[in-house]
Amino acid sequence: MVFVINIVSSSTLTFTLFLSHSLSLQAICFLKKKKKKITMNEGAIGGDLLLNYTDMSVLERQRAHLKYLNPSFDSPLAGFFADSSMINGGEMDGYLATAGLNLPMIYGETTVEGDPRMSIPLETTLGTGNFRKRKFDTVTKDCNEKKKKMNREEVTEGEEEEKSKITELNNGSPKSIKKMKNKAKKEENNCSNDSSKVTKELEKTDYIHVRARRGQATDSHSIAERVRREKISERMKFLQDLVPGCDKFTGKAGMLDEIINYVQSLQRQIEFLSMKLAVVNPRPDFDMDDIFAKEVVSTPMTVVPSPEMVHSGYSHEMVNSGYSNEMVNSGYVHFNPMQQVDTSSDPLSCFNNNGQAPSMWDSDVQNLYGSLGV
Amino acid sequence: MERQIINKKKRVFSLEPNKNPSAVFTRKYTSHLVPALKKLNMNKNSSKQTVKHEVDMALALSAQEFAWSRFLLQKLSSSSNPTTTTSSSSDGIRILERPDKEGGNEEGGIEERLRELKKLLPGGEEMNVEEMLSEIGNYIKCLELQTIALKSIVQDST
Repeated sequence: MVFVINIVSSSTLTFTLFLSHSLSLQAICFLKKKKKKITMNEGAIGGDLLLNYTDMSVLERQRAHLKYLNPSFDSPLAGFFADSSMINGGEMDGYLATAGLNLPMIYGETTVEGDPRMSIPLETTLGTGNFRKRKFDTVTKDCNEKKKKMNREEVTEGEEEEKSKITELNNGSPKSIKKMKNKAKKEENNCSNDSSKVTKELEKTDYIHVRARRGQATDSHSIAERVRREKISERMKFLQDLVPGCDKFTGKAGMLDEIINYVQSLQRQIEFLSMKLAVVNPRPDFDMDDIFAKEVVSTPMTVVPSPEMVHSGYSHEMVNSGYSNEMVNSGYVHFNPMQQVDTSSDPLSCFNNNGQAPSMWDSDVQNLYGSLGV
Repeated sequence: MERQIINKKKRVFSLEPNKNPSAVFTRKYTSHLVPALKKLNMNKNSSKQTVKHEVDMALALSAQEFAWSRFLLQKLSSSSNPTTTTSSSSDGIRILERPDKEGGNEEGGIEERLRELKKLLPGGEEMNVEEMLSEIGNYIKCLELQTIALKSIVQDST
């Protein structure tokens, strides 16, 4: 019997939902329940973890474990207490094989594509100084749960594990592969060490088991620091995607500057628009639903990629090739598209010192719509 | 009229209107803002600050899942003339005019920039860095959606 776990694709998760969950996850600390050691005789095991190790850090992997353990993200509590007997009950043969696991979407963006798999090499069962650390982090606890399960498979170290096969990498750069191997080793070592300690720990603890990588300090502080730094760089990466024009900066400083500028200009824009709004009466029948209704007309007359997609009432074809499916298109607006473009750029240009800014922001907003399609 | 009818016939609506978070946010935002503006107009005493207040209020109300919106609401309710987003203009100019982004003093520079960023975000100064970075992400997104909504309101009305 193949124990297949269908992991609900996280593409349906909205970023808000995830955010609230992630915040609540951090607040949950009591979910650690050490599993009893169960000796398993699995045959071909899938210690295959559906994790894309390309961009992953310790943190991401842990979160992915969390996702794995908890297919329905809506009830994180239920997932955490997955009974060991239940999980290990059947055969572990190829468990976890096929579901395409999407890494947790931090902000609604998947970081994983495809169906990557990785089997953790279990051949190194060295018990070199497992490092324990008290940490208020449920995600990593679940990582430990996972590792314990893997430990049990380790008992019957089959053929499947000795190869540290890392398949289907998104970008198989040598550096990332090496990183993955290190992490694989790290995780595997954690597994092996956990197995001996599982029996002793039945009570809930807040420990995470972290192994230092090769050539790195094993100090508790530095490991905490490392995790923290990974979190921060992960967030910075996301911000880089969010803020247009950030990709040309490789350093944190430049990116931060760019982000700051962007936020400030957005705020100024809003301020300006609200000043304009003070002068203007909003139409009583202004309806946002109309704005979000996509208008598809057969005969294209003018094609104007206006950033906010407020098109005229004339027949035209909407340029939405790269855009999300919900575009702004009001049936009530009767602007000539060209005129509308002029009016939109004029006030902004007089507001901004830099006359180039409006067009830049317009294209930025277009990018925004492109990214909204997630 | 005819064109409008033609357009309406061919309008395509999304089947899942509540799934797309940006649509949800924008809808909420406009549903807060437009009536508030109408009320303001009726009172005939709409100064720019009041409109700004309403704009910010609508933003805060539409994004209640996020921490920064709580801070924003607090600020708005505590002061009648909030200057939440206007205070940073001067700081912004300073940053824009900085000659070069030096990689040399990156360490110290980063700290300073993070502090700047914290100042921009409502409530950012009470958060730690990781939280702040996540919150900035969705704050940016909401600001972008807000600009879109405001633009469409303004254009719709002129």
